[in-house]
Amino acid sequence: MKNKVLSIILTGTMVASLAACTPGGGENPPAGGGTEATPIPTVDQNTYSGSEEEIVGGSSSELVDGKFAETRHITVEIYDRGNDGGSDPTNNMYTDYIKKGMMEDHNVEVEFVKVPRWTETEEINNLLAAGTAPDICLTYSYPTIQTYADMGGVIDLQNLVVDNKNDLPNLWKWLDQTNMYWDKSVQDGTLWALEGKRANNNRIVTYIRKDWLDTLGLEEPTTREEFYNCICAFRDNADTLLGKDAKQMVPFSVSSDVGWRAALLIESFMDPDITDKELYVNGFDDRKLTQNGTKEAIRLLNQWYNEDLMWKDFAIADSSTEDDMMKAGYVGAFMHNWDYPFRNGEDSINANLQRNIGEDAKFVAIDCFENSKGEYVKYCDSTAGDRKIFFPTTNDEPLASLLYLDWISDPVHIEYLQVGDEGVTHEKTADGAYTFMAATGDAIMNSGQNIDMTITCNGLHLSTEELTLASLANNYPPCDPADVARANEVANNGKKPTKNAKITSIEAETGMGEALNGKRDIIYDTCMSCAPEEFDAQWDELMSDYLISGGQDIIDERTEKWEAQYGDKVTLD
Amino acid sequence: MAKAKSENAKKPMTKQDLWIYVKRYWQLYLLLLAPMIYFLVFKYSPMYYVLIAFKKYSIVQKVSEMPWAKNNGFEYFIKAFKNKDFINALRNTVLLNLFDLICGFPVPIIFALLLNELKFKFFKKTVQTVAYMPHFLSWIIIYGLAFQLFAPTNGLINMIIEKLGGQTIHFLDDPNSWVKTYIGVGIWQSFGWNSIIYLAAISGISPELYEAASVDGANRFQKMWHITLPGIRPTIVVLLILALGNIMGSGFDRVFAFQNNLVMKNAEVISTFVYKYGIKGLQFSLSTAIGLFQSIANVIFLLFANWFSRKMGERGIM
Repeated sequence: MKNKVLSIILTGTMVASLAACTPGGGENPPAGGGTEATPIPTVDQNTYSGSEEEIVGGSSSELVDGKFAETRHITVEIYDRGNDGGSDPTNNMYTDYIKKGMMEDHNVEVEFVKVPRWTETEEINNLLAAGTAPDICLTYSYPTIQTYADMGGVIDLQNLVVDNKNDLPNLWKWLDQTNMYWDKSVQDGTLWALEGKRANNNRIVTYIRKDWLDTLGLEEPTTREEFYNCICAFRDNADTLLGKDAKQMVPFSVSSDVGWRAALLIESFMDPDITDKELYVNGFDDRKLTQNGTKEAIRLLNQWYNEDLMWKDFAIADSSTEDDMMKAGYVGAFMHNWDYPFRNGEDSINANLQRNIGEDAKFVAIDCFENSKGEYVKYCDSTAGDRKIFFPTTNDEPLASLLYLDWISDPVHIEYLQVGDEGVTHEKTADGAYTFMAATGDAIMNSGQNIDMTITCNGLHLSTEELTLASLANNYPPCDPADVARANEVANNGKKPTKNAKITSIEAETGMGEALNGKRDIIYDTCMSCAPEEFDAQWDELMSDYLISGGQDIIDERTEKWEAQYGDKVTLD
Repeated sequence: MAKAKSENAKKPMTKQDLWIYVKRYWQLYLLLLAPMIYFLVFKYSPMYYVLIAFKKYSIVQKVSEMPWAKNNGFEYFIKAFKNKDFINALRNTVLLNLFDLICGFPVPIIFALLLNELKFKFFKKTVQTVAYMPHFLSWIIIYGLAFQLFAPTNGLINMIIEKLGGQTIHFLDDPNSWVKTYIGVGIWQSFGWNSIIYLAAISGISPELYEAASVDGANRFQKMWHITLPGIRPTIVVLLILALGNIMGSGFDRVFAFQNNLVMKNAEVISTFVYKYGIKGLQFSLSTAIGLFQSIANVIFLLFANWFSRKMGERGIM
């Protein structure tokens, strides 16, 4: 008897655990909800390659005036940045606005599910594997989506977005075919994800301490050589600049992510006439490791490192330690996201400098890494390639989810989420531009311009471009709007956005991303900090290891696929 | 007499005896059921999923539905052993654990012996408490402490070395020094805690032995060598066997917290390799295969150590 009971319990738990481990069961929800009333749209083959042909869409019979008859419930991923003193990411002034709006406009109840921003890929992996992912997922990592799509864990959006096109006017208008179809497969027309759009694709800018330049009577550097002279001057005048803290001087700071934090320098060594083909073939590494000039760029960094121009703790410290050094005023120059020293209001780097050092202490944007033709090229992303939105197969409300995306792409809603309420998060200047103010409590935006909420839009996007530009500069109180405008200008100087080669899924890349990125960072960090006489040996050894470990396979497959698709052509339209 | 007793015990139980037995003790069996279920549900039933190591993993299929991997299911084992990063991680795992064992294993024993010689009770207790405190710190915090102490530019130790006219030592970012730092910090974190079990064993030794030795004129060192150490020998052997059983295993957080890009050739171990390739790289079959290999190797080490200790006349653990 006892045995029987035991075995029943055990069988029960076994079955339960089996069921829990195989989510979805391969059962895809019907695409589009109810589409019988609409003619099946014919999608021209040309649209697969992203041509701008008009797409005839349909609308859903489930909706009356855009509303469901019965309340639907969807869950939406939201990043949790864990900011000190931030608002609750799933319950604040802006989530309430969305919840209320979605309920009124579409009769859809929205629930937010938070995912830690800095481990989002791992977290979303876990949620997908457990079958508990939110209905609307977003991630920066397309390979994650591709992997789960290959396993049948992601909904194909192709028919959904076309069949319901008339119900999704804002989404189509804002994302356009470029972003809607960016990830569409040329081979079979599947569409696993929609690309959120960058309203602002500024990438990286070099910053230097303006007050130090003034103290030493130096001009803002405009070439690599001048930049080198400046940081040498910082090193040599540490006593003047830092007094008793002279030992803390770091003329030029990078973190362990050298490829990002010295990107402009590395890219200035690339061939100015590089073809689209070369850019594509080596484009799998977003830190330009295998591009033609990188070795010499790192050799220069190695020289600087060994001349005591750089930070010795870069490999073992975390980024907050480096931020603190910038805030304390020990750092002379650095490269980072275009708005880095202005971020976080009163706790921004520039605000800290002004508090700790003096009124005129601040970082200003400079443009000083010219290529061999004397141009200041900024390789940057296209408007696509930012956050990718996808629906896991556990999503049984695809239409309601699409309506959510449409709602969040409405310019009025974007503007409200980005600027908030007058008197609470912003005030208006005489010319109508927004000036932003530090909010408190529920009105605090956990991400700049609430980009975590406006998932289809990254960056400030207001009704007109002039308003956007004017407001952008005001967006970083208490930092000087003129400094922000200058940084924006530098970031835009010589912009070269990535083109879409429309070649999907390189098999050699599957599962290799993390491993190769790890190796790349090891190469950069080791070669930058080794003794100058070891540089060549270290670079060659580590680089050959990188190529053997999968790098070369990727390059070969990319070359092969490019040639299969474009033949001898080396430039994209 | 003894023989008769054992014959009595071997006598087969009649049905009635069994009934009486069950009636008397059924509560005890019921109590046993809870841990049994725990083990079956959380330890045994998941073992079924080691099959993933031999199959091509898919998120939407049941394990039984997944297709078998190539090479008779051994595709992922072959893939792992062909990957030189894995071989390197394997080497590092074994070496780091071996260093840990060689350097770290005697420390708590010596510490316990020393502590046992202290006569002033309050001082003894204080030292013991202070020594085992680090055990409760997370490795992330310990790394934070290590960074403050050992960083090349602002670390306290390096500042002292420089003040004394020495050269900066790259405790954390030179591959060879890193190993020493890693082992040293590991010992610091664990020796106090590990000595507790030895102190308990020492307190179990009969004081009569010490008294007799005193009468015979033994000094303190002789008492330690001839009474205390042999007294805790079984404990030492058991702990050594358990430690050997873990030679291929590796905790994740200690290594992960201390890793950085400049020391990876010595710092990548199996657990971090699996994290990087398997979890972040989404290769679940590969990570399962490596995990399975690791467990089997550990069991082999454990059995070998157990067999060896029995050969040497000790009791072993099974």
